[in-house]
Amino acid sequence: MSVLTKISNLDRRIIFLAVALAVTIPLLLPIGFPVDMSEPVQKVYDLIETLQPGSVVLMSIDYDPSGAPELYPATLSVMRQCFARNLRVFVIGMWATGVPLGQRALNTVAVDEYHKEYGKDFVNFGFRPGGAVMLVNLGRNIYDVCRQDVYGTPVEDLPMMKDVRSSKDIAFAITFSMGDPGSDQWIWYYHARYRGNLATAQTAIGAPKYYQYLQTGQLVGLIGGMKGAAEYERLVNVPGLATVGMDSQSIAHMLIIGFIVLGNLLYWREKRNK
Amino acid sequence: MKRQLPLAIIFAMGVFTIVTNFIPAKPVADVNQMFRNWYLGIITFFTFLGTINLAKVNVERTRDRSRDWQYSIILLVALATQLFLGFYKWSPDALREGSPFMYVYFNLQFPLEATMYSLLAFFMTSASFRAFRARNKEALLLLLAAVVVMLGRVPIGSSIWDGFPKVTEWIMSYPNAAAKRGIMIGIDLGLISMALRMILGIERSYMQ
Repeated sequence: MSVLTKISNLDRRIIFLAVALAVTIPLLLPIGFPVDMSEPVQKVYDLIETLQPGSVVLMSIDYDPSGAPELYPATLSVMRQCFARNLRVFVIGMWATGVPLGQRALNTVAVDEYHKEYGKDFVNFGFRPGGAVMLVNLGRNIYDVCRQDVYGTPVEDLPMMKDVRSSKDIAFAITFSMGDPGSDQWIWYYHARYRGNLATAQTAIGAPKYYQYLQTGQLVGLIGGMKGAAEYERLVNVPGLATVGMDSQSIAHMLIIGFIVLGNLLYWREKRNK
Repeated sequence: MKRQLPLAIIFAMGVFTIVTNFIPAKPVADVNQMFRNWYLGIITFFTFLGTINLAKVNVERTRDRSRDWQYSIILLVALATQLFLGFYKWSPDALREGSPFMYVYFNLQFPLEATMYSLLAFFMTSASFRAFRARNKEALLLLLAAVVVMLGRVPIGSSIWDGFPKVTEWIMSYPNAAAKRGIMIGIDLGLISMALRMILGIERSYMQ
């Protein structure tokens, strides 16, 4: 059996091992490739920069732990920018299993880093079921959908919510989304009815779908995958897990391209021999 | 009657929901709002129903010693544990840092789910080696676009050539957006026709 035939019948466990090494070695020995900026990410940052202190930013945590490696760093970075600019943050989520992620992000950024006060500077209403219908109700009357926060406090008792009644009181909304319900519902049902500034952070696999909404202006910006999160970390000047992950992702992508090229060379050789 | 009544309800609710979109008058909007609130109540109850159903199916699998029944035990134990920790003292303390619920979530559920999702990278690499072939001109074009986007999406791409991110953004903004838009319009036309079929009682498979 020739070497090329052996390669074409490569055991997939060897491929798995190569991927594992390509991902883990750069994590242990960082290379530090510079992260360049993309326009859709810059637009999200620029829009938040234009908001007046005290404006309300709605953040929807529409992902679970499987999407967290890509979306959690983006959540932290956007929160950092919001609290640094003294914006008020209002958190909800359409995925039940994402609630602790939103809570931990608030604990890390709002409480530990910026020493913000719960109820006055930020609130967390946790999981809100109902997807599209919930969003329609939320835009019309927030009190209808968010009657109690995650601690069981009635919405009327939260000082921040005194002047936050409907979509008109929300300066900017962003959904960190990895599927359904998520960005689609925010665009189709919330933005279509109530307009306003809306952006999304998406997993890399989902991001291509949302470029069409950037062109139409339905989205002001898009943070795509771990790369988008790394760009945002650079913008807020706090390198984190996404920046660290860029080296791994770079090497892993190179490996995949290498396998694609190798696979095609073998295919063409086989075709020529036939 | 068993068939006619659901069809009548679907017809009435479907027509009402469409019509109310064009009538912003308060009484109509209020009734629509009431129906939406009912929907939210029903959806919330479904979460409870789904949990009961999940438990029932797995108890039966364990009892009947079905294939891989051991995994059902793990599921039931995990379900019961997280439910107990979530409702511990029947208070919202579960979401405070350091609570048993948060501990289990971040030290068990988080790594397990993230690991499952990350397995995609392994299978995608294996599949790209075996199946991503330039068999014709269209496939070659797709392959080249994929390679450019993969390079443009990571910092090493711009280190090789600073044009990769720009070409990637162009591919995303124009050919990709055009294709996605076409697909979306097709899907939405299909959805509209399916909704009309259901409202008019032509499509009845959901009743079986």
